[in-house]
Amino acid sequence: MRHVTTVAWRELRSLFVSPVAYVVLSLFAVLAGLFFILGVAAFNAWVLQLQQFQAFGELEKLNLSDHLVSNYYDSMGVVLLFLVPGITMGLFAAEKTNGTQELLLTSPLTIWDVVLGKFLAGAAFVAILVGLVGLFPGLLFAYGDPELGKTLSGLLGLLLVGWTYVAIGAFASSVTRSQVVSFLITFVLLLCLLLLPAISDLGVTGGGSQLGSALRWLSTGEHYQQMLKGLVDTADLTYFVAIIGSFLLLTKASVESVRWR
Amino acid sequence: MIEASHLSKRYGDVVAVDDVSFTVERGEVVGFLGPNGAGKTTTMRMLTGFLPPTDGSAKIAGHDIFAEPLQARRAVGYLPEAPPLYPEMTVFSYVDYVARIKDVPRRERKQKVEQALERCGLADVARRVIGTLSKGYRQRTGLAQAIVHEPPVLILDEPTVGLDPIQIGEIRHLIADLASGGGDARHTVILSTHILPEVEAICRRVVMINQGRKTVDAPLSELTAGGHRLDELFARETARDTAPSEEASA
Repeated sequence: MRHVTTVAWRELRSLFVSPVAYVVLSLFAVLAGLFFILGVAAFNAWVLQLQQFQAFGELEKLNLSDHLVSNYYDSMGVVLLFLVPGITMGLFAAEKTNGTQELLLTSPLTIWDVVLGKFLAGAAFVAILVGLVGLFPGLLFAYGDPELGKTLSGLLGLLLVGWTYVAIGAFASSVTRSQVVSFLITFVLLLCLLLLPAISDLGVTGGGSQLGSALRWLSTGEHYQQMLKGLVDTADLTYFVAIIGSFLLLTKASVESVRWR
Repeated sequence: MIEASHLSKRYGDVVAVDDVSFTVERGEVVGFLGPNGAGKTTTMRMLTGFLPPTDGSAKIAGHDIFAEPLQARRAVGYLPEAPPLYPEMTVFSYVDYVARIKDVPRRERKQKVEQALERCGLADVARRVIGTLSKGYRQRTGLAQAIVHEPPVLILDEPTVGLDPIQIGEIRHLIADLASGGGDARHTVILSTHILPEVEAICRRVVMINQGRKTVDAPLSELTAGGHRLDELFARETARDTAPSEEASA
């Protein structure tokens, strides 16, 4: 396990000397700020409107957690979908083009050391991104009273969504030498994951059929929405662990497959 | 130190390496010769544990590559044909990273890294980023990476390819130095090449393979005895298979 952190640390350091990390960080920070301000403006307009119409009942129901923070988190989940592939595309593909794969596989490391190390590096980077997201709702606590529990469970949800994306990205990176191909595979896989509920809704699968609900279960969004509502359920946590675990297993098999040829 | 027994590697119908056996004793420098595509790199990759052989096995410093893969790999320093470098890292942090993944104990790490850099003449560029270095320095960084954990066995795949004559001289000198270093520091070296004067300069024994098969395995002195020249032998051995003969399979 000592080697896992060695591999992760090297990966992170390399990430931070490449322009990719900074492009992703700055883009993400700008978008987080933008979505937050737009959210606040929309919330504000809503409050004013309801006051104008003297709809006090509606006004009562309006709160920062459900009508601002969770929408904002939801948007940032979509932003992650575009940016995480940029972070993960080089995880394994770069080792192949550098020829360092040969170094890793002839060192006294297990393949799990490598795979977990790479995942850990990506996961740590995503944690930084999610930390950035968390700054803005943090500000709300100074001026209003959003629910702490919901704010945190949503943030945890975003973190898990990000980690799921990293695991999928790591797998995509392990099947190709090209970082561009790796980026595209990840992007398409993540889009599919996002669109699964829509496919299930199409009714092609027969509405409430088992296939339909299975597709729904597979979709990251379904489980993320629960956490945005403040529900931290073991079933949803199990989903994230299962998806991350499966893609790490696939990645391990894919890295190992060099030896099968 | 190295015992290869009946190593074979097939890719589908293509036989890259066919039943190659040889042993190398401690402190020996063996030149691994053969034309391009003969199976030199594949054989080396099997010895380092990068590729599993289809048939046969090998022992590195007494550790079987299948039964004790981690111990066997720990005993090997390997310089592939293209040095495995991370262009964005500095020379020092790269060699330090390799020392970590090769299980060099924390206390000795800094000293061993500095020693490897010193031996490969990299002390002056230790803080430079690898991507900005010249080819000669990159090759040396690759060599520093291979020796940092002081492995008993060194496997070098064309270590001097693409270097200028002065650099070639330095690398050869370094290899000779590694093999003759006193006591435990003596390395066993296999190096592949197709530069014949290189073999004459540093190797004591020659293993020649052609089309995946071992054709020659003899001390250099024996091969060059009686005024025979290595290039004549090389030409004869590589020409032999073009007309399939009984001799080659015998």
